[in-house]
Amino acid sequence: MALTRPATRPAQVDGRAAGPRRRAAMASGSVLLLAVALLMSITLAVTVGSADLSMIDVWRTVGAHLGWGASPLSPLRDGIVWDVRLTRVLTAGAVGAALAMSGAVMQALTRNQLADPYLLGLSSGASLGAVAVLMLGVPLLLPVAAFLGALLALVLTLLLARSLGPISPSRTILAGITVSALAAAFTSLLIFWNVTGDSYREILNWLLGSLAGADWGTSIIAWGAVLAIGVPLAAGGRVMDAFVFGDGAAASLGINVSAARWTLLGATALLTGIAVSVSGAIGFVGLVLPNAVRLVAGFRHRLVLPMAGLLGAVLMIWVDTGARTLFDPRELPVGILTAIVGAPLFALVLWRHRAQS
Amino acid sequence: MPDFRALTYSPALPCPPARRRRRPGLIAGLGLVLLAAGCATATGQDQPTSRSVAGASAAASSTTAGDGYPVTVLDCGVSVTLNAPPQRILAIKSTSLELLLALGVGDRVIGSAFLDGPVPAEWAAAAAKVPVISDKAPAQEPVLELDPDLIVAGWESNLAADTAGTRQSLAAKGIASYVAPSACQGAHQPPKLTYPMVFDSFLEMGRLLGVPDRAAELVAEQTKLLGTVTKVPAGTTALWWSSGSTTPYVGAGVGAPQMVMDAVGLKNIAAGIPQTWTSLGWEPIIEANPDVIVLVDASWNPAAKKIAALESNPATARMDAVVKHRFVTIPFPASEAGVRSVQAAVEIRTQLRALGIG
Repeated sequence: MALTRPATRPAQVDGRAAGPRRRAAMASGSVLLLAVALLMSITLAVTVGSADLSMIDVWRTVGAHLGWGASPLSPLRDGIVWDVRLTRVLTAGAVGAALAMSGAVMQALTRNQLADPYLLGLSSGASLGAVAVLMLGVPLLLPVAAFLGALLALVLTLLLARSLGPISPSRTILAGITVSALAAAFTSLLIFWNVTGDSYREILNWLLGSLAGADWGTSIIAWGAVLAIGVPLAAGGRVMDAFVFGDGAAASLGINVSAARWTLLGATALLTGIAVSVSGAIGFVGLVLPNAVRLVAGFRHRLVLPMAGLLGAVLMIWVDTGARTLFDPRELPVGILTAIVGAPLFALVLWRHRAQS
Repeated sequence: MPDFRALTYSPALPCPPARRRRRPGLIAGLGLVLLAAGCATATGQDQPTSRSVAGASAAASSTTAGDGYPVTVLDCGVSVTLNAPPQRILAIKSTSLELLLALGVGDRVIGSAFLDGPVPAEWAAAAAKVPVISDKAPAQEPVLELDPDLIVAGWESNLAADTAGTRQSLAAKGIASYVAPSACQGAHQPPKLTYPMVFDSFLEMGRLLGVPDRAAELVAEQTKLLGTVTKVPAGTTALWWSSGSTTPYVGAGVGAPQMVMDAVGLKNIAAGIPQTWTSLGWEPIIEANPDVIVLVDASWNPAAKKIAALESNPATARMDAVVKHRFVTIPFPASEAGVRSVQAAVEIRTQLRALGIG
């Protein structure tokens, strides 16, 4: 199968071939570099917007809220910086990180470089859960409903893929597309059935993905999820490394394969569900970024996960800055931009695989 | 590409009188449809001469069907010809139904669909007699089953393959269609909507329905009423929030909201955007800090919900209009161009005065 990654690639997994010390130094250097890039992105993106505010005033305002000095801006403009821009930049970063990490985990567990929350139906399932709460008044918290939707979609995808024969990347993708189409159809049905007047606009955000609803609540929920789920996932990166060699190899390393796989996939569903509950279904971030990171980090997931998360955060912050400023003062759903940027990159990933095979 | 001009009315074909029977037998019904096909026609796009041709033919032929027929109008680039006053009218959206009721032809309206809210009290009795065939945009089959001879639609999208049917396909079945000119899209969208344009559409509808005098009367009433609307102090700024919550959908520079705001002298903060309505981010809205916020009140997005959202977000809660509670509400049906547009200006002006503005 052209898209299957070779099951054994020891040189890339433990890095011995390239010299362990140099690889380790390079790797920690990359993580540090990306962390700095994230901080800089937050600092710079918050100064960009349709309101005409100087960089210094924006920083002094943020500083004032963090306890240094006084805000030079009027309360109204202070609100633009602290409550509108900063929360949006922070939420964008967390959503990008969550999606990229989810993608990285799924790719490792399914041994499928083309797995991602969007392609395997998790995002559509999460959207369906969220829309069901909004439209039908299902008495659940939005992130919980989105998580349940994502989990259900994931289970359906994997069961369907397994029922088709030995799990292969193409079967998993086909199953994911099937489940995704089904979830999207139910979402559309709910919307079609309930929409009156021009209220469909409200719902479009769930299908296209938008960060316009960001506030402190979404920032806290999304970063909470990234820290509470993403960090332990990264710490458990060695388990995912073992999966790269196949289930048999993982079992021989003393890993309870089934329990580990479902725990990790459940965590991914939770991460994706929470991201979707604040932003709607945003595509391609989870697919493309882990692949990009692997060019540098190989398949060591203790590196891949933090790097993918940080890169996802940086990328999403800037793409969303584009979504809110490119057509200033009009807004564009960010999912449109991630698809425009991500689809060609996805094509590149596919093309690389072709070249390798 | 089919040549729709082939469907153009041929004067040699006799037109049936207004149909009275609700459900003719299948064969007879088919025959009627075929006959009627020659009577109400929408021809291909852009026939610049159709208006003058219609004038000439209207003058030349005084048919038994009524004075001034056949009538041809060019509407959103589609030429619509009626050879007799329509008797079985379907109204899609509130603006359509309300115009028909205002022109006093409620007894000829056999159904309404996709209404945005209740009609004003003055037409409530007449509206109660009109059956509502669908809460949403109706599909082709229920529309055809109703056997209308004219469909008046509020949005162009109401007359598409996935809704009531394309205008060409309806015309082929002998059903004329009319879309409010203010709702024309693309090349046929008015560059900037004005009250005279809206009034012209009343007169056009009056001619199509055979009630030109009532239409002229209506325009005279509305022109007089519009003349009573005074302007607020210059420079009073406003946001017109129609729908949406995370990304507000607001009245922009060239549509009905701008027209109404111009009438009362409000300066629209989105006036610079050459669209009827547009999606605007919160940041430019907070930055503009409008003096007043006009809230469109719809059952699916009530004004109260919008106010609660404005007050609960710390950034929007600091806007002057929110702090001083300077909100003006307008029912959704009155927020689109139509027979309530003048009344919308009157109501907004009254509410502004109550808020101590001008």
